[in-house]
Amino acid sequence: MTAARVVDAVKTYGTGDARVRALDGVTVGFPGGRFTAIMGPSGSGKSTLMHCAAGLDTLTSGTAWIGDTELGALGDRQLTLLRRQRVGFVFQSFNLLPTLTVAENITLPQDLAGTGTDREWVDALIDVVGLGDRLRHRPSELSGGQQQRVAVARALAGRPEVVFADEPTGNLDSRSGEEVLRLLGRAVHDMGRTVVMVTHDPVAAAHADEVVFLADGRLVDTMADPTAEKVLDRMKAFDSSRDTGRGTAPRQRVTS
Amino acid sequence: MSAPTGPARASLRLSLSSLRAHKRRFAGTFLAVFLGVAFLAGTMVMGDTLRASFDTLFANANSGTAVVVRSADVVTVPGEGQGTREPVDTALVTRLRSVPGVAAVAPAIEGAGQLVGRDGEPVGGQGPPTLAGNWIDDAGLNPYVLAEGRAPRTSGEAVVNRAAAEKGGLGLGDTTVLRTPDPLRVTIVGLVTFGGEDGMGQSTFTGLTRADAERRLMPAPGRASTIKVRADSGVGQEELARRVAGVVPHGVEAVTGQQAADENLDQVSGRFLSLFTTLLTVFAGIALLVATFSIHNTFAIVVAQRTRENALLRALGASRRQVLGSTLAEAVAVGLAASAAGLLGGIGIAAGLQALFPAVGFPFPEGELVVGATAMAVPLGVGLLVCAGSAVLPAVRAGRTAPLAALRETAVDHSGASRGRALLGAVLAAAGAAATVAGAAGTPQVWLTSAGAALVVVAFVVLGPVASSYAVRVLGAPLARLRGVTGALARRNALRSPKRTAATATALMIGVAVVSLFTVFGASLKATMDRTVDRSFAGDVAVTASGFGAGAGGLSPKLAPAVGRLPEVATAVGLGKGVAEVDGGGRQLTVTDPVALTRVLDLGAVDGSLSGLGRDGIAVSRQEADKHHWAPGSTMVLAFADGARRRFTVRAVYQEAGLGGDYIVTRTAWEPHKVQDSDALVAVAFKDGVAPDDGRAAVQEAARGYGNPEVQTRQEYAESAASGVDIMLTLVYALLALAVLIALLGIANTLTLSVHERTRELGLLRAVGQTRSQLRSMVRWESVLVAAFGTAGGLALGAFLGWALVKASDSAGTSAFAVPPGRLAVVLLVGLVAGVLAGWRPARRAARLDVLRAIAAE
Repeated sequence: MTAARVVDAVKTYGTGDARVRALDGVTVGFPGGRFTAIMGPSGSGKSTLMHCAAGLDTLTSGTAWIGDTELGALGDRQLTLLRRQRVGFVFQSFNLLPTLTVAENITLPQDLAGTGTDREWVDALIDVVGLGDRLRHRPSELSGGQQQRVAVARALAGRPEVVFADEPTGNLDSRSGEEVLRLLGRAVHDMGRTVVMVTHDPVAAAHADEVVFLADGRLVDTMADPTAEKVLDRMKAFDSSRDTGRGTAPRQRVTS
Repeated sequence: MSAPTGPARASLRLSLSSLRAHKRRFAGTFLAVFLGVAFLAGTMVMGDTLRASFDTLFANANSGTAVVVRSADVVTVPGEGQGTREPVDTALVTRLRSVPGVAAVAPAIEGAGQLVGRDGEPVGGQGPPTLAGNWIDDAGLNPYVLAEGRAPRTSGEAVVNRAAAEKGGLGLGDTTVLRTPDPLRVTIVGLVTFGGEDGMGQSTFTGLTRADAERRLMPAPGRASTIKVRADSGVGQEELARRVAGVVPHGVEAVTGQQAADENLDQVSGRFLSLFTTLLTVFAGIALLVATFSIHNTFAIVVAQRTRENALLRALGASRRQVLGSTLAEAVAVGLAASAAGLLGGIGIAAGLQALFPAVGFPFPEGELVVGATAMAVPLGVGLLVCAGSAVLPAVRAGRTAPLAALRETAVDHSGASRGRALLGAVLAAAGAAATVAGAAGTPQVWLTSAGAALVVVAFVVLGPVASSYAVRVLGAPLARLRGVTGALARRNALRSPKRTAATATALMIGVAVVSLFTVFGASLKATMDRTVDRSFAGDVAVTASGFGAGAGGLSPKLAPAVGRLPEVATAVGLGKGVAEVDGGGRQLTVTDPVALTRVLDLGAVDGSLSGLGRDGIAVSRQEADKHHWAPGSTMVLAFADGARRRFTVRAVYQEAGLGGDYIVTRTAWEPHKVQDSDALVAVAFKDGVAPDDGRAAVQEAARGYGNPEVQTRQEYAESAASGVDIMLTLVYALLALAVLIALLGIANTLTLSVHERTRELGLLRAVGQTRSQLRSMVRWESVLVAAFGTAGGLALGAFLGWALVKASDSAGTSAFAVPPGRLAVVLLVGLVAGVLAGWRPARRAARLDVLRAIAAE
């Protein structure tokens, strides 16, 4: 059972000479209850893939699915409702609203929906992320690592079908990053959630159950039970293939 | 102009490129300055044009009159326009004819005459004067020119100015009534023009035969208001005036036609036009003051948002002066462009009004639009000053940016709610309130009240940031409960920068404060009039001439006796107006039957007796008596317009001035000094057992023969007395609409800047599931909160200042203070709706944000 998948996903930006194919016919499924990492060099289309799979962006052609729902058929409002009910997000930075407290940030999607929060579940989450004593604090009073842990708690609070994390450790030192990654791992293995994480860091990817590799907008490889070394070796292989000119021409970065 | 060199050029280039890059940010600033300057320039150009037109009009119309002979004595009552002059003897005409250099002499009789239209309604009379006079055959001495028909020859014939005829639906050969105020049946035999126009402004003019005019408009035959003299060619006005002065008796003077025309012109341009343009300029000033607050706020925000950019410039070697200069240059550029556009807009407004006025029946004198140097320089200068002045503090702050700020995360919020500010504000507020109250209580001291009021306004501005955090928290509390997280977010957003919220709201606060000030003042005026009528009117109905101001015609003195003879009526008393000087100051006298008066007016406790005032007795109000230390038995001297000085004995002192006025004399006492006899009010009391409706119908029937004036119950009378207040309020509201509009532009602009600043936040909210409509509603609610804060502050400030104004302008201590809850609730509602409107566009723009791009935004 796949929690999210894309089929023949194509995404192009710009027109004419400036036309860039960020995704060039990708088909990939993210199985439920698993921690999947999307790896690839800069400009490989990994962030675009995640954005389209999560309903933040629309595909030029092909289909994207969350469970049994085809995202291309949904309007802005339905996509918004889908995001707040069935998907969780962790971004690289700026995950929290500065005006809300930690507790309010965690339950924000449910508050926006106007549905009640599952108190027990949220309390358990807060326990896991270890910020019980910081609930009344504002994000500005937290360290970067703490902020990301709050973001993870927020992403999980609504028990979404899938959590998308976009370089969640990109702005953190290695220790804080390690904590966040472990948290994502626990969400999958202890709580039965599904996590899809975009990263360019082999150490981060090693926390996943499976790694899919993207290059030049195509799915080029998958790797089960990754370790940092194996992932690093695989990435080096990309680089050398690029250096020898087998890749496409240098391309515009489509995401940061 | 030489091109700026070196570093100056660099900072100029920076500011221009920044302007180009952020055009939208300054759209609000541009619009605010544009509107304010256009208002100001339009007012000035229109005032100049009107003044110039009237100048030519009067000069042309009176060019034939070389000398005017008139009584030297004039009594002027404060608040009344032209003074009262005693008529001169027309026997002088013959003597003047023999003066060498005189070509023609004509007596000129000027009085009030209310023309009745075809529909039975009076023509004009809502402010501008309704004039009547004799038709002067000598074309050089008559400012009016016959356009159609012929001059009046026999009694009962009349000419009227063309505009009045048109308004009243009257034509040649029609017969109608002229209230002088005794009704006179006239047949219109001619239509006349004034200086080429269909009338002199909005006033009406009816020309009668000299005999009719003498009988109706003068106290006795053989009298005229003035005598006009035309000179032989080659004889100068000054010279002729000197010669004429040699032959006139004591108490009569000869002035040049030029001087008389100038005095007339003063009446129009000096009083009416100056009042008009001053009023408009004051409101343009309020609009620009409001604009100053919003512009300052815009620049403060822009500078804060640009901290990193400015820090980078500083790190790269830009001096403080250069950074400061580039910000200031930006303000000057915006100010120049907006002021220039506003100036053009203002000229356009004036030209539009010049075209529009004739279409709505206001004869705007023809002539070129006068755009003087002052009318160009002042709006330009003020616009520039407002814009550059508003930007000075933000520019200084920009210059102070530390180079290191480029490396830090920008901290936008400098919390404005500091302890020092709270303390300063509290001290200012306390001092201001104390001064205001001290100045307003007891005997008013206007300067103390004004100073206090100014301090209170400053205190409100200083306290804004302190108050905004509390106020928004309180005002927003129900919002968070009602609108869930959307409301809570809106409230937090409005709270996050108290200084910004306060500065945004201050513009609206000033506008609303002026609105509420006038609302409260107007309501108090009405309450005062209501109370005056209520306290002092003891009769059943009042008969009044319709209309108000100089044009209100007055009632025939025969009306009161006629009504008094009705079987339903117990007492009918006419109250006429007279003028005389007491201790060198003009005073209004009530001319009436004092004994009968006590049956229809309540004068309160009377010390002495009102019966038997006779020819030399006077009754005085308690207030005036105390001021002059009079008691029954004291004597005083009244100086009348005819030069007579008469000794009067105070026979009674009464408590309530009210409708009776401060001085009451008998008709017998006034008779020798009267000019044109009329009553302002006839107060009527019915006999016992007469049903009010029957009595009223009978009075109305009796009044029909006297030009059909209005018969009003006590309540109606009070309301009609206050109707002028509503007209004033409507005008004030219309003029303040611009200031409120500018304040709203300020709110919209701040929100747009805030939305821009919070791009990533909005993106995040959308990503985690905020719908577009939730986002729009969040921005709109923030706008409503800011508007609510500004409106609430404005209401409080305005009500307080209104109270101060009422008290300070009330030296007699008889004014009522009234707060109209209904009207103020409407002001509050308008403020809130305005908040929704101001938030509309920023909300829509915010909702259009692309989620991914917003998240990625720097």
